[in-house]
Amino acid sequence: MKSRTLAAWLLGLMVTVSGIAHADRLDDIKEAGVLRVATFDSNPPFGFVDPATNHIVGLDVDYAKALADKLGVKLELQPTNPANRIPFLTSNKVDLVLANFTITDERAKQVDFSIPYFSSGQQFLAKKGVLKSPDQINSLRVGADKGTTNEITLREKFPQATIVAYDDTPFAFAALRAGNVQAITQDGPKLVGLLASVPDKQNYEIPPFTISNDYMGVGIPKGETRLTAFVNETLKGLEADGSAGKIYNRWFGPQTKTPLVRIFKIGDKT
Amino acid sequence: MQGWLAPRYLMWLGQGFGVTVGLALAAAVAATAAGSALAMARHARYRPVRYAAGAYVVAFRNTPLLVQLLFWYFGVATLLPEAVMQWLNTPHSVHVAGLAVHWPSFEFVAGWLGLTCYSAAFIAEEFHAGLRGVPAGQHHAAAALGLTPLQAFRYVVLPQAVRISLPPLFGQYMNLVKNSSLTMAIGLAELSYAARQVETETFQTFAAFGVATVLYIAAVAVIEAVSHVVAHRRDLSFARR
Repeated sequence: MKSRTLAAWLLGLMVTVSGIAHADRLDDIKEAGVLRVATFDSNPPFGFVDPATNHIVGLDVDYAKALADKLGVKLELQPTNPANRIPFLTSNKVDLVLANFTITDERAKQVDFSIPYFSSGQQFLAKKGVLKSPDQINSLRVGADKGTTNEITLREKFPQATIVAYDDTPFAFAALRAGNVQAITQDGPKLVGLLASVPDKQNYEIPPFTISNDYMGVGIPKGETRLTAFVNETLKGLEADGSAGKIYNRWFGPQTKTPLVRIFKIGDKT
Repeated sequence: MQGWLAPRYLMWLGQGFGVTVGLALAAAVAATAAGSALAMARHARYRPVRYAAGAYVVAFRNTPLLVQLLFWYFGVATLLPEAVMQWLNTPHSVHVAGLAVHWPSFEFVAGWLGLTCYSAAFIAEEFHAGLRGVPAGQHHAAAALGLTPLQAFRYVVLPQAVRISLPPLFGQYMNLVKNSSLTMAIGLAELSYAARQVETETFQTFAAFGVATVLYIAAVAVIEAVSHVVAHRRDLSFARR
């Protein structure tokens, strides 16, 4: 163990010295034989500890595994919280971040992002058959959560809709059940979670369209162009051979507790 | 200082204030009528009527208004048939003499009903106290003068009872204005709801809630002024007799 640490340290030193000539994380990873990835450990279904095995599993973990497999190296997971994602990358503690990492301009100043591999958007929950397409929203009464961006986005995009804001999502859902509103709006994954615990869930549906989107990408240290290209190519490859669809279905497929129709595909947005 | 609220947001607050005033007025009228009926019932000759009125006051005075509002909005809505709910939740308007009169939203109806039922119990107690505040000697004196019980009530007891209960009655109207803010929980876009909405969009917390506070104070001040004018007028008209 000690000699390995020493070897790693020596390797690290060599890399740092040679790094002046060409900094390339992709080669480092291959040489080390380990891909270090930061993921969440308490954010199901993206990254959480499976109580049965005590291992971190989830959608993000599956993508991390696919990247490590493609490189032919071992995967080493580093549990993180939202605030540590960027520091882990900038301080070289990890090679990549796959932790429900929403791509924003602000973050892009500090780290690079791959193309998005997941998208979560503002969706609607309504009684079956009520809501088919976004242009119906203008004529509906829609419940929203008070003080959320969902409420603001809805008002901006559908000024004709009657918006009733409630204190929280369960209240909005109670209003939907009572018939006071015809639909409620929230982020898709949250609506699915809400619906999961409802006894008569077969009466409700989440129409497969979004009115705004957050895109999640892989966080990559700034300036690692070869690593970025590798991640992007791998993600596209996963979509092309159907693996991405399989990963999605493992966590959001019809057999899961949180079924959500897959709208976004890798490569839809770059 | 982040500057002042944009006109658009002041308009939201203005609309919210309009809803607050409309709701408080509508509830005040209905609650006063219901409250007088309840007060009469508490003095009725038949015991079951007295008990029923007493039970109503206990039930509505001793439960939180928020719970009552949630009951009318969420609870009753699930009991009503779907067709009725659909009618209540779609806009309706009637054209009266060239003016379009809109049927209010279900949030407004539920809020109005909740505030009315709640305030009616308090107003009934104020009237009840007023009626009891008239000394028994007044009843006897009226009877000795040969007035029928109804005449005695109308010309001797009622004027004195109203005089006693007017100040606390206006106090109840002030409470009504303040209590109307609880209807934001059932999604009625009144002043507090609007203030919170403006705060969410502008992050100008102080300005948003500051304007709302000033508007509430203004509404309550108007009620107080009216109460003084009414009391003064009554005193004058009694002095003239």
